[in-house]
Amino acid sequence: MVQLNLPENSKVKKGKYFKDTTGSKNLKKVNIYRWDPSSGENPRIDTYEVDMDNCPSKVLDILNKIKNEIDPTLAYRRSCAHGVCGSCAMNMGGKNGLACTTPHAGIEGDIDIYPLPHLKVKKDLIGDLDGLYKQYKSIEPWLKSNSKSETKEIYQSKEDRAKLDGAYECIMCACCSTSCPSYWWNGDKYLGPAVLLQAYRWIIDSRDDERQARLKKVADELKLYRCHTILNCTSACPKGLNPAKAIAEIKKMLATANI
Amino acid sequence: MENKEPLSPHIQIYKWHISSLVSISHRITGIINIIVITFICLLASLLVLGHNSYEMINLFLISKIGKFFILGITWSFCFQVLSEIRHLIMDLGYGFELKTTKITGLIVIFGSVLLTVVFFLIAKNFL
Repeated sequence: MVQLNLPENSKVKKGKYFKDTTGSKNLKKVNIYRWDPSSGENPRIDTYEVDMDNCPSKVLDILNKIKNEIDPTLAYRRSCAHGVCGSCAMNMGGKNGLACTTPHAGIEGDIDIYPLPHLKVKKDLIGDLDGLYKQYKSIEPWLKSNSKSETKEIYQSKEDRAKLDGAYECIMCACCSTSCPSYWWNGDKYLGPAVLLQAYRWIIDSRDDERQARLKKVADELKLYRCHTILNCTSACPKGLNPAKAIAEIKKMLATANI
Repeated sequence: MENKEPLSPHIQIYKWHISSLVSISHRITGIINIIVITFICLLASLLVLGHNSYEMINLFLISKIGKFFILGITWSFCFQVLSEIRHLIMDLGYGFELKTTKITGLIVIFGSVLLTVVFFLIAKNFL
């Protein structure tokens, strides 16, 4: 249900202040959401003064700099640092994105960094994505073919292959789903933009033989129709994909198909 | 353990976009419109009671608050209609590019204000 306020144990308190020790003139204040599971305390916002003269251009570089030079207790996910793995998805300057592809110059004033919105926090900037992965599994994201042959390739025309463009590139970073207010309020039932984009990807795959069954499966008041075209998903996607359009296409297919 | 884990901040920190603003306003104006329509029906049914109740309604509508009320619901209806048209176009699968959604969102916001002014001028000069 819609709950605008955070629960009592999630209210964010003011945290520590890490003053600059380098004597640099080009400082930026970075406010980071911290929560330590072993402390039993509420989450807090720690503020770091970061020397921007010796910091590369992306938000992830700031985090690495803080972890390496100021406060090694900071926890966040990161891996490839090139916008391919989707590990470092977080909320920066009020918008979801990948820390490794988001330039910090684009954020005006202090840089606020939070974990992805409306998730159970494991530690600091690490959110619990189990629910999303379960939903992803529920749409059975693999090819279901009636083809008996195990050696013969299933032919796909260039036109049919082109339909997958804009859907297969998704890296499941969860930026879109966790930016969606509908997903915040109904995340247990509504599949959310990321999973629906993947559902769409398999529905339109010409090699898949379970199209009808797949469509039937998502045709549900809560699973699909909680999308109210708020479009936070599309503006959050770090890969420039359009989950909202994919969801609209599924709705359109359901409205015109005979199932 | 599970209850201990805090919920990360959501609506408190998320930046508003034009599209999300139009979406939430669409809902709010929808609710306002339902209440207002009910209210207008009640007012109309008051007329059955005769001359005195008509005076009462008239007094309310020509007062400052009454005029603000009328302008407010005119805007609310204009917004709802324009936003609904935007939704219908989206239901057909068009207008999902980020730039387009921004433009159509702005059209809805400014268009509703413009329409309200137009209605106000028409009512003032011709009725």
